[in-house]
Amino acid sequence: MSFGGLHTDHRAIVAAASIVFLVLTLVMAVLPGLREQALSAPAAVTPRGAEAERGRQIFMREGCGFCHTQFVRDLPMDRPYGRPSRPGDYAREDPPMLGTQRTGPDLADVGSRQPSETWHLIHLYDPRAVVPQSVMPAYRWYFVEKDQAGAGDAMVPVPADLAPRGKVVVAGPDAKALVSYLLSLKQPKVSP
Amino acid sequence: MRDPGLVASASVDSATVRVTFEYLAWATVWLLVGTSAGLIASIKLHWPEFLPYAWISFGRLRPVHTNLVLFGWASLVLVGLALYVAARTSRVSLSNPGLARIALWLWNVALLGGVVTLLAGVNRGPQEYREWVWPLAVVLAAAVLIDGYVAYRTVAARTLPEVYVSNWYILGGFCYLPIIYVTSYLPFYQGGLGNTVIQGYYMHNAMGMWFTQLALGVSYYAIPRLLGRPVYSYALGVLGFWTNLLFYPLIGAHHFIFSPVAWWLQTTAILFSVGMMVPVWAGTGNLLLTFKGGGGVVRRSYALPFFVTGLIGYGLSSTQGTLEAFRSANIYWHFTNFTVGHSHATMYGFITFIAWGAVYGLVPRLTGHEPSPLAVGVHFWLALVGVLTYVIAISVAGVLQGFAWVAGQSFIVSVIEAEPMWLWRTIGGLLMIGSHVVFAANVWAMRPRAATAPAVTPDAVRSPA
Repeated sequence: MSFGGLHTDHRAIVAAASIVFLVLTLVMAVLPGLREQALSAPAAVTPRGAEAERGRQIFMREGCGFCHTQFVRDLPMDRPYGRPSRPGDYAREDPPMLGTQRTGPDLADVGSRQPSETWHLIHLYDPRAVVPQSVMPAYRWYFVEKDQAGAGDAMVPVPADLAPRGKVVVAGPDAKALVSYLLSLKQPKVSP
Repeated sequence: MRDPGLVASASVDSATVRVTFEYLAWATVWLLVGTSAGLIASIKLHWPEFLPYAWISFGRLRPVHTNLVLFGWASLVLVGLALYVAARTSRVSLSNPGLARIALWLWNVALLGGVVTLLAGVNRGPQEYREWVWPLAVVLAAAVLIDGYVAYRTVAARTLPEVYVSNWYILGGFCYLPIIYVTSYLPFYQGGLGNTVIQGYYMHNAMGMWFTQLALGVSYYAIPRLLGRPVYSYALGVLGFWTNLLFYPLIGAHHFIFSPVAWWLQTTAILFSVGMMVPVWAGTGNLLLTFKGGGGVVRRSYALPFFVTGLIGYGLSSTQGTLEAFRSANIYWHFTNFTVGHSHATMYGFITFIAWGAVYGLVPRLTGHEPSPLAVGVHFWLALVGVLTYVIAISVAGVLQGFAWVAGQSFIVSVIEAEPMWLWRTIGGLLMIGSHVVFAANVWAMRPRAATAPAVTPDAVRSPA
């Protein structure tokens, strides 16, 4: 069989394979990418504040998005997490963190679902203090354990049996920034 | 007992031998590091307070594991084997072993940089397998381009008129990966959900248009060589090449089914996920049929069982991938650990077993030194039982998660139900790592020695210059 002479011509194989793959890349990736990029940019978007934006960087640094999606599907099981996600929801996200795994719950609308800053701080310091069966890492490195809280310190009311003996837990700046990001995750209302 | 597949190989020049072996040795190092990262991450899921340090927290270890096993282990071992296969099937020496060695060090620099930056939390967010910051991506792309150039020059210098089917796949892989990689890092079309479209394209194509290409290219050489019989059908091999090229790139969006990404893109992806059955079973069938009547050789060979396992792994795991794409199945399986099971069925059950078969089948011909067949047997069974334990446990975990969610249970129920399976996953992972340690010892046993008497056949090696 000759395969149109290709089988004796390495240049033709490489050229044909590359061109076909480039065309498919254009049609299936680059052009749809451009289209979705245009759809994802609604007219009015309020940017995040500086602290929440720094929190987003910490969220990425810690790889939170490997376990938590930000992607609500139009399926009954996703209803607890908010309304179905829309392209415009990702306008301020670079990169958008839709995710592929839900080892933990979806966070697309966590700022509305769980608006308590205190809850989030306790949860980050020790997830098992608020959800006993949780397997989330404890982000203790964002907290300081002190003998006494100073002026302006954000004290974290960790339950007594889980708190370090004789010390108080104070949220560091990164913990506060991360919580500020989480609280900023609120799905904008849309008209049906 | 000597492997009957180890018939005399024509002499291979020592420079080709050395550089091939260096790729395989470094791949083995990254395999050990990368799977150790995976094991620690796995333990953390059922023992969250295990090693509670920022640098090795779950979210930082996970990309270290994935990037190392993909780019450190699977890519390096397959590139090393592919360069060797390109040279052997073209009946020439590797065109430029010096360049190939420079490329290897670029790979190593990128990989080490990747480990350090990811552990330090320097990344581009959870964009799977493209978490590395761009300077590291540039180094990696340069390494791939140089390797591709060496492979191309080697095939161009062939002394036979035909380009053997292995080299279609190998040269194809070296064309596709740079396109995939550059497309995934250029920002111009990645605002908002544009990024998600590219994510689907990237993580999907990096598998089927790179690892599958090289693994099949290596198989089309090594399996007929070890069996001492021609490949069942050359034409089927070429059909697989073109259908893979036409169908595979169309299905990246099946990672984002039910997402706000354009519906036509998702539907096309589901449709051609079915079409993928053509190249998958053309390749699997073709290579398995090459074994027909060769049962005696397989039973006495220690390399061929890895190939048989890998090919079955290819057919089954690809079929599983097709099923996962259907919207009806996706409802239960998406976001669950089932996907993790699929990744390991493919990258381990298929790609890694093929790579091991090729290492055990080809390296003793290169260096003249065989590992102990007992040690290879221990490697095989530890790896097989380990990966089966892993994949079954994590797939059950995925199904439990999916059913808990569909039943509308509180989220934590899915965690509680999956947790015992996560312990089983760690047990499977321990067996897998045990097999990697044995493999590393076997690689060491096969190392080339300076000016030794050939252990296999008189013409299997030529004394290094």
